[in-house]
Amino acid sequence: MRIPLIIVAIIALAALIGPFLLPWGHAAIDWDYVRAGAFEGGHILGTDDLGRDRLARLLVGTRITMTVALAAALVALVIGVIWGAIAGWMGGRTDEVMMRIVDGLYALPFMFVVILLMVVFGRSILLVFIGIGAVEWLTMARVVRGEVMALKQRPFVLAAEAAGSSGTRTLIRHILPNIGPVAIAYLMLTVPQVVMVESFLSFLGLGVQEPLTSLGILVNEGAEEMDVRPVGLLLPGGILVTIIVCLTLAGERWRDRLTGTGRAKASG
Amino acid sequence: MTRLILRRLMTAIPTLLAIIMLSFILMRIAPGGPFDGERPLAPETRAALESAYGLDKSLPEQLLQYLANILTGDFGPSLVYRDFTVTELVAQSLPISLLLGGLALVLATLIGISAGLFAAWRAGKWQDEAIMLGATILTALPTFVTGPLLALIFGLWFGWLPVSGQGEGLRWLILPVVALSLPIAGAIAKLARAGLAGQLGLDHIRAARGRGIAPLTILRRHALRPALIPVASYLGPAAAGLLTGAVVIETVFGLPGLGRYFVQGALNRDYPLVLAVVTLYASLIILFNLFADLIYGWLDPRMRGEQ
Repeated sequence: MRIPLIIVAIIALAALIGPFLLPWGHAAIDWDYVRAGAFEGGHILGTDDLGRDRLARLLVGTRITMTVALAAALVALVIGVIWGAIAGWMGGRTDEVMMRIVDGLYALPFMFVVILLMVVFGRSILLVFIGIGAVEWLTMARVVRGEVMALKQRPFVLAAEAAGSSGTRTLIRHILPNIGPVAIAYLMLTVPQVVMVESFLSFLGLGVQEPLTSLGILVNEGAEEMDVRPVGLLLPGGILVTIIVCLTLAGERWRDRLTGTGRAKASG
Repeated sequence: MTRLILRRLMTAIPTLLAIIMLSFILMRIAPGGPFDGERPLAPETRAALESAYGLDKSLPEQLLQYLANILTGDFGPSLVYRDFTVTELVAQSLPISLLLGGLALVLATLIGISAGLFAAWRAGKWQDEAIMLGATILTALPTFVTGPLLALIFGLWFGWLPVSGQGEGLRWLILPVVALSLPIAGAIAKLARAGLAGQLGLDHIRAARGRGIAPLTILRRHALRPALIPVASYLGPAAAGLLTGAVVIETVFGLPGLGRYFVQGALNRDYPLVLAVVTLYASLIILFNLFADLIYGWLDPRMRGEQ
């Protein structure tokens, strides 16, 4: 579990600091070196058709993809935890209705709802992650609800209630903190999902818009010139896949460790 | 059985209605319209166009009119491809998408189930670990990376297969179908492995083993069907995954399928086209979920009563 996380951390760090170390911005045009090859005029990866430094674009694209992913996953986390906690805590009819809604939403063709949202509300980066976050919270809500229902029966919660703790107080002070580990595991699994959705949208031209860039846009650009310059596809694609795979692996490990399914599977 | 199907269809209608209404309203409150070209139209021309397409009526009226039309199979004229009705466009592109998606689903199921069963059989050994790692990586690979990558390797570098369009024969289908099926195959492999591993630990299977029954016979007669239940429950999400994947794959490989029209329609604000595709997608997903329920009943007789 540690190695995938270290790899993601290195990529994140490079995307965060890297652009400051380069003399060019991701949108700056170097008229003397349009379509430069690697290392020409100091451009380590060369420049694209518009004379923009490819390395700067790659780093900034990675940064934006990761920022959007984190922000959208947090939106999903907040909605999911609130929804799931209320459903699990209230139980009965409320729970029934809230979970039916989640089931119903699961059956929707989500990607298309997100695309509709993007079309309707204009393609601003803020709306990209709110839109994605607003549709990726379902699994989180289900998991949190299950956890809350289980915790509700635990002796320490009953003890808190016996000691006169009010319902809201018990939920916030005693139950929510205990959801932490599981919520983080699913947050880790949500991030790669969101990375995929964001890049998918950007790849189709419906997500992040120029002059901003993201890994999805870079993959799209790379795919168009892959016959002459395969690196343009391989680099952003490689980074994207690495992020998704590493986070998925780490998230699954963590989840399995928490729920014990990993061990159960191995012995079965 | 018939009652189950009927009941499912009854619940499917409100879901479909909700989706249609939601997307209808979303498309209408969107800024920018289909007649916003580079040159502004003369007000009279604009009014004439809007009344010709019924866009001058109130929203509820338009919605009702639209629903009534859908029932007769009329999805209206395309606002961008002006010589075609949406029904014609869908009729042209749907077969390509169905062929692509259908073949990808079959391929993914075959690869996924066999890999998953093999992994469960070797549970805890290195083959298991390797297959599960591979499956995780496959599920994590986005189609918009694998698509161009496969085209690059097998199309451009080796030159074995066509990279875009629909050439002669069926060779053009190979790369798109493979690219589309990979993530689904990974997910199915994981589910099949988990399903079978869970079964193998059960008492009746261990008893059968103890009596010296051949592993393949145990698999075929006792373990396989219940082990595949998680796979069946994945059919709905798989359909959704195939549809979204197809959007990318059709764009990457330049195939005139439904997904490509959807993206074009969304970019051009071709309301009738986008609405028709969303409706169609939602129906397909609902259909697949129903199909999954029927397969449940076949896999696990206990569920027949409950349904």
